[in-house]
Amino acid sequence: MAERPEDLNLPNAVITRIIKEALPDGVNISKEARSAISRAASVFVLYATSCANNFAMKGKRKTLNAGDVLSAMEEMEFQRFIAPLKESLEVYRREQKGKKEARKDKDKKADSEEQDKSREDDNDDDDERMEDEEQNDEEEVDN
Amino acid sequence: MAAAAAAGGTEAAAEDAGGAAPCAGSGRAARLPLSRVKALVKADPDVGLASQEAVFVLARAAELFVETIAKDAFVYAQQGKRKTLQRKDLDNAIEAVDEFAFLEGTLD
Repeated sequence: MAERPEDLNLPNAVITRIIKEALPDGVNISKEARSAISRAASVFVLYATSCANNFAMKGKRKTLNAGDVLSAMEEMEFQRFIAPLKESLEVYRREQKGKKEARKDKDKKADSEEQDKSREDDNDDDDERMEDEEQNDEEEVDN
Repeated sequence: MAAAAAAGGTEAAAEDAGGAAPCAGSGRAARLPLSRVKALVKADPDVGLASQEAVFVLARAAELFVETIAKDAFVYAQQGKRKTLQRKDLDNAIEAVDEFAFLEGTLD
């Protein structure tokens, strides 16, 4: 298991891709630089989380919400992130809403199909549903 | 032909959901896996729960951070007339940029 929180690292392949896309073509990064950036990103998340948590506590909430994270960005002097983050969040919310409605339709359909067909043991569906439920528990509708 | 068109329609919808927009920009979905970001959030003993949205915004913020620090570090590589970003470029950027002060002493 990880000894320190900073050891919880983010996938190298993704980090490398983000770096490469940010830099001009033909630029390389050394393994040490890539590794350090990855660690820096982890530290960033830890710091932002801690900062966001302060805002949640101020609001007497026990669940961090998106607004807390945006407030943390302001606090950390990364204001320039706020506009793009808000945009991403809008897209994300729309996608989640779409997925939710697709799930509802799928459940309705499954119910009506069960009445028609004879059962087959389908464990996959159950697992998928459990995962969704876990997500739903922590989902908070916030502004 | 008609069948292919219908299949194409569904694919396009799936692509939109995945955030694979032609212009890389603010609206894209997170590339960093939310599960890993969530693990970092949970590492903080003072933090309770985090909404899915909060984890998503953190992931996106981390991506923006990676872009930013890479670009800032690259300035130093350019000064050294190098095309390879090195660790020292990063150290220079951290020292020079106020917003990166929180990183001092954490990367070793």
